[in-house]
Amino acid sequence: MNPILSLTRKESGELLSSGRGLAWLTALTVVLSVLSLLLVSDTELSLLDNAQVVYMVMGTIAALGALLAVVSGSDSLAGERERGSLIPLLLTPLRTDEIVLGKMSGQVVAWCVTYLLSLPYLWAVGGGGQNLPQAILALALFGTPLVLGFGFFSLGLSARFGNVRTALSTSLVALALLASPVLLGPGLRQSAVGRMFDAVNPFSAALNAFDSVVIDSQPFLAQATRFAVVLVWLLLAMAFAGRSARDMEI
Amino acid sequence: MNAGSLARWFVVFAFLVFPGAAFAAAPLDIALSADGRNPPSPQMGDRLTFHSVIRNTGSAPAQGLVAWISLVRVDAGHERPVDLEDWSALKALTRSAVAPGERIEAEWPMRLIQAGDYRVVISAVDRGAVRVVTSPFADFHVRRKPVVESRRILPVAFGMPFLLGGIVLVRWARKR
Repeated sequence: MNPILSLTRKESGELLSSGRGLAWLTALTVVLSVLSLLLVSDTELSLLDNAQVVYMVMGTIAALGALLAVVSGSDSLAGERERGSLIPLLLTPLRTDEIVLGKMSGQVVAWCVTYLLSLPYLWAVGGGGQNLPQAILALALFGTPLVLGFGFFSLGLSARFGNVRTALSTSLVALALLASPVLLGPGLRQSAVGRMFDAVNPFSAALNAFDSVVIDSQPFLAQATRFAVVLVWLLLAMAFAGRSARDMEI
Repeated sequence: MNAGSLARWFVVFAFLVFPGAAFAAAPLDIALSADGRNPPSPQMGDRLTFHSVIRNTGSAPAQGLVAWISLVRVDAGHERPVDLEDWSALKALTRSAVAPGERIEAEWPMRLIQAGDYRVVISAVDRGAVRVVTSPFADFHVRRKPVVESRRILPVAFGMPFLLGGIVLVRWARKR
């Protein structure tokens, strides 16, 4: 079998067949279930418009996907080193870039599964309301580069630090900073600093696109700038991961 | 003794025995109006405010005044009194005494929870009252808006974790 396919299969299999991966997916559904139940049991939340609720759930799904990517990416190369399996991996016929892509394929599968598991929740909260199909499409379009960008970024840190704990803690700090717009509403980001942060933050770009498409019923074409921001984030993170893996000290 | 004479004797007797009670109750007058800033066509989740003015029009003070807000749903097939638990934090006000001619103004904020036709009314009694005094009705209609429906959420919210949890358990049992 092609070595890169072999690595891809190993990485994605770890998510779908290992107890750790399934436990994570169960935890993901529990979080989304608790959020959904809050939406119907809390008077204030239950009166929110459907579109507003769909927007909230989309933000949560993107944040959970990014969290899984960060945890998985931090473990990718530093974990191999700590388990003593990095040198056998480097001795395979794979180039460094191919190793990075193989490692990332596990994250692509993780995000696809996360996305598929989130669809029933989006239907449950958004069915009967406005723009549900657009919400599903927007989550795929903006969520995928956003989440994979976090995966590449933490993989790069994993290669640079060579230590899972350091890579994970640094990645989590970066995720907490960039994902802060999930908690801070647009009203709290109206200062000059907030607007500057929003302009370059891929998480803000994705959330603002969700808001625009789902709540304000704006067309996808109007989100080109925001799509460019998340795409640039993905490309920069890819470049960082590739460079870090090449510079990695054995 | 006919019934009319008996009634007259009863009134005289009651006046002599309970001089400070029913017949000394202060007459109250209640006016109720909607706030001018209320949305003209409110929908679920909006907030309305009503203003009431309770006036003691009698010559004696009204002791131990209690005024409260009531809401009834009146659209056909859904007629019922509404539990104000989620609708309003302010459900009643009290005053130890209201002097003759004194006005008690109050604001009654309300969060609209459910669609339908409603009538709101303010009622008041004082300690010596023999019957409740009510304001005129203020009517309003609440428009429906699409919100989260529990009948769609509950199966997903409970089903998905159980499904995945079940898969984890089956795999775990097979491995053992």
